Amino acid sequence: MDNQSPPSALTADDRNDLMGELAARSGPAPDGAAPRPMPGGRAAAEAALAAIDPVAYGASRNHLDGAVTRLSPYLRHGILSLDEVRNHALASVEDPRKAEKFIQELAWRDYWQRIYLAYPDRIWSDVEVYKTGFEASEYDTDLPTDIVEARTGVACIDQFTTMLYETGYLHNHARMYLAAYVVHWRRVRWQAGAAWFLEHLIDADPASNNLSWQWVASTFSKKPYIFNLDNVAKYTGHDINTRMSDNRVLAYSYERLTELLFPNLGPAHG
Amino acid sequence: MADLIWLHEGALRRTHPVFAMAASGAPALFIWDRDRLAAGHVGARRQLFIAETLAELALNIYDGDAIDVIPRLVAAHGADRLLVPASPDPAIIRQIAAIRRAMPDVTVDIVEDTAFVTLAKEPDLARFFRYWNKARKSALRPHGV
Repeated sequence: MDNQSPPSALTADDRNDLMGELAARSGPAPDGAAPRPMPGGRAAAEAALAAIDPVAYGASRNHLDGAVTRLSPYLRHGILSLDEVRNHALASVEDPRKAEKFIQELAWRDYWQRIYLAYPDRIWSDVEVYKTGFEASEYDTDLPTDIVEARTGVACIDQFTTMLYETGYLHNHARMYLAAYVVHWRRVRWQAGAAWFLEHLIDADPASNNLSWQWVASTFSKKPYIFNLDNVAKYTGHDINTRMSDNRVLAYSYERLTELLFPNLGPAHG
Repeated sequence: MADLIWLHEGALRRTHPVFAMAASGAPALFIWDRDRLAAGHVGARRQLFIAETLAELALNIYDGDAIDVIPRLVAAHGADRLLVPASPDPAIIRQIAAIRRAMPDVTVDIVEDTAFVTLAKEPDLARFFRYWNKARKSALRPHGV
């Protein structure tokens, strides 16, 4: 570019080319001709905001088919502000406490952003040591190919990965399951998984994403987060395969999983 | 005073306070900074989401490195103030610092978004619930006041 001349804005043709290129690289919509679930733009954001039900959210948010809001892409890009979403939620309830669970989730985003600003080095570095009985050096630095290609053989894990690729979105519980599987079942450093999510999530935010991975890994929490097949079955619908024969490595009690995944911790930490 | 607004991918709305702080009708622009997007692990699907949002915002988009493009646009517009929405992203913070150095005669104002909560002092960020215990009362009030 000539440093002496003023830069030229992209023309309409340039913009169309860019959109076409990005659409091609994004892959097809999940079910062919259906519109993508979370398109960009303020109009789509306002429609999503108008549809929220903070009370139902509080009651069902942990379920994959619960009343989650899918506002995260719009909040992440400042298309909606935390303040206006909170105000909207409060206006929809008689008692602010009925919207508290929802507003607390907004507060998580405010909290992550404050850490990002105050301690930017924590986004890619372990905030604390692992509480898993393993040193950081005992974790692989690269994501195994079978995880990336959704062919681990653990049916629900592969389904969550496919969902991530097809929609650019995952329910928070599915994110936690995938993160725990990557870090604790496969003993891969959280940074590899965090970068993977950032590449594919529409709402990808380095602070929310990476610090949540650290929370699962136990480098930003008191203990590692793990789950078992019963938990997946409880919070997912029939479209997720939770058959024991297809998910054997998850089909244990928490006590047994703790022994298997963290053998160095000993029985006192079970 | 001639103002120019640089919107980045963390503040893509015309109701952001940066517009209220700028002179009425001040031009707003976006830099499609491929290197920063790549360094930030921004995949194609998210890039498409951002591009769709930009299309609706109807502002000029420029291809390139913000550190290079912004000072030239400021000069081309004859602007003496650049307004930028605040961001915690270290890459954007570094770019703002470099732009400031490149055009010392131009005022660069960083504009905070509307606050979610009002806190008497900086909260303890070591764990979420230490923050939440201080923020809860404000968070459950309209406008966080």
